[in-house]
Amino acid sequence: MGDIAERVKAVVARQLKVSLDKVKDESDFVKDLGAESIQSLELVAAFEEEFNIEMDEEAALQVKNVKDAVAFISKIVEK
Amino acid sequence: MKILVFEDEKAINLYPLTYLRPTWELLCGAGTLLDKVKRHFPNNEIHFWCRPEMAPVLNRKYGKPVNDVKNLLGKESVMLLNGRWLMGPGEFLPTKAEEQGVCGDTLLYGHLAAEKIEPRDDLASLLKKASSLPKKETKGRLINNLWEPVKYNAEAIKEDFGLMGKKGVLGAMAPESTIYGPEDNVYVAPGAEIHPMVVLDTKGGPVIIAEGVKVFPFTRVEGPAYIGPNCQLVGGKIREGCSFGPECRIGGEVEESIVQGYSNKYHDGFLGHAHVGEWVNLGALTTNSDLKNDYSTVSLKIRGTMHDTGEMKVGSFIGDHTKTSIGTLMNTGTIIGIMCNVLGVGALLPKDLPSFAWFIEGNVMKGFGLQSQLKTARAAMARRKKELLPEEEALIGQVFEMTKEARLEAVRKSRG
Repeated sequence: MGDIAERVKAVVARQLKVSLDKVKDESDFVKDLGAESIQSLELVAAFEEEFNIEMDEEAALQVKNVKDAVAFISKIVEK
Repeated sequence: MKILVFEDEKAINLYPLTYLRPTWELLCGAGTLLDKVKRHFPNNEIHFWCRPEMAPVLNRKYGKPVNDVKNLLGKESVMLLNGRWLMGPGEFLPTKAEEQGVCGDTLLYGHLAAEKIEPRDDLASLLKKASSLPKKETKGRLINNLWEPVKYNAEAIKEDFGLMGKKGVLGAMAPESTIYGPEDNVYVAPGAEIHPMVVLDTKGGPVIIAEGVKVFPFTRVEGPAYIGPNCQLVGGKIREGCSFGPECRIGGEVEESIVQGYSNKYHDGFLGHAHVGEWVNLGALTTNSDLKNDYSTVSLKIRGTMHDTGEMKVGSFIGDHTKTSIGTLMNTGTIIGIMCNVLGVGALLPKDLPSFAWFIEGNVMKGFGLQSQLKTARAAMARRKKELLPEEEALIGQVFEMTKEARLEAVRKSRG
């Protein structure tokens, strides 16, 4: 989980063009990190590439912050 | 005699335009293929047999059951008609039963005697019975390929104008507007408005303006052209061979193109030799190429394989509910599925974009999923006081599943 969290944060920082230290567990992609709707899509695509997984579009849309993303991805990776 | 208009296995060759409509609802000329059947058989009962997944939608829209042999039982003979047939004037059809008309290896019509129809029949068995009838080679225009409605469109508009028996300006035409060419080559329906500084150029063919149409200043409409009910032409060049279905908003430059209906191409940008579905929105400056720089024939990528159209001018094919951003550029012979979201930003689109895919900054993505697209569709339709029927939502859901693998493959390919 720890490794996944670090990788998720790195992807978020890279994709949303924010510094890594601003990406916290509780950071909301839209409210705190300024993600626009298109960037949310790009973020999902980047997670899929980073972890070599498929994320269901509608389920992924419900993921609003870093902590949720880590939990969501961990579940898929553990399968 | 009853009529049964049917879809055969080649209906899928006309995807994405036939994902959400039967072949006979494709627009060509001054109406759909079905309108021409109705014109040919004004006093006959007409029934339908479509792909199974489409039946609930048509049951609801037509208000009577489709794909039901009970419609055909009785004392009347049944004329099976291929739903891809573009019927023109003077088509021969037998009035006596017991004959099939073929075009190459495809059944155009089969006329079955009443006693041949049995309660256990389905489309396959009816077609089998028709195929055993005496055969007559028939020259008919079958829509075999995606680009053919556009290819036949100018000719079909001329035919439809000749057969509709209506001419003249019955709507309001500002005196500052002009009919440039033969004045009897125009029909402006009652309730249509032609504003000042409009040119209806009838030298090359008829201009048909349906009821409720508004043509705003600085629009030039070159015949043959068909402008469907309640369309708005908001300035620009509508060049020869265009047909627009109901309630479109069209501006900029359009040439030899078909827009099924309820779609917007409001702004500048060129659309040529294109066929656009319903509820499409083309952002400002969206442009397609319809001619290659080396003047060679255009190929289309259909289900992963390239097909040479044999045509020098072929534009784009855009499925229902697809939206493009400002500045979207489509290469010659581009096919975009239904419910796609295209944010072009200058990069040329891939030759085929699967349904429901998003195209963002040169990358193909899965998008936000089915429910998000349905929500957008409901909102777009509500603006024109139309409702997305539950049966249509179910059909869209089936297309979403049907196209999933192609979409994921396009995403994988885009990521390299």
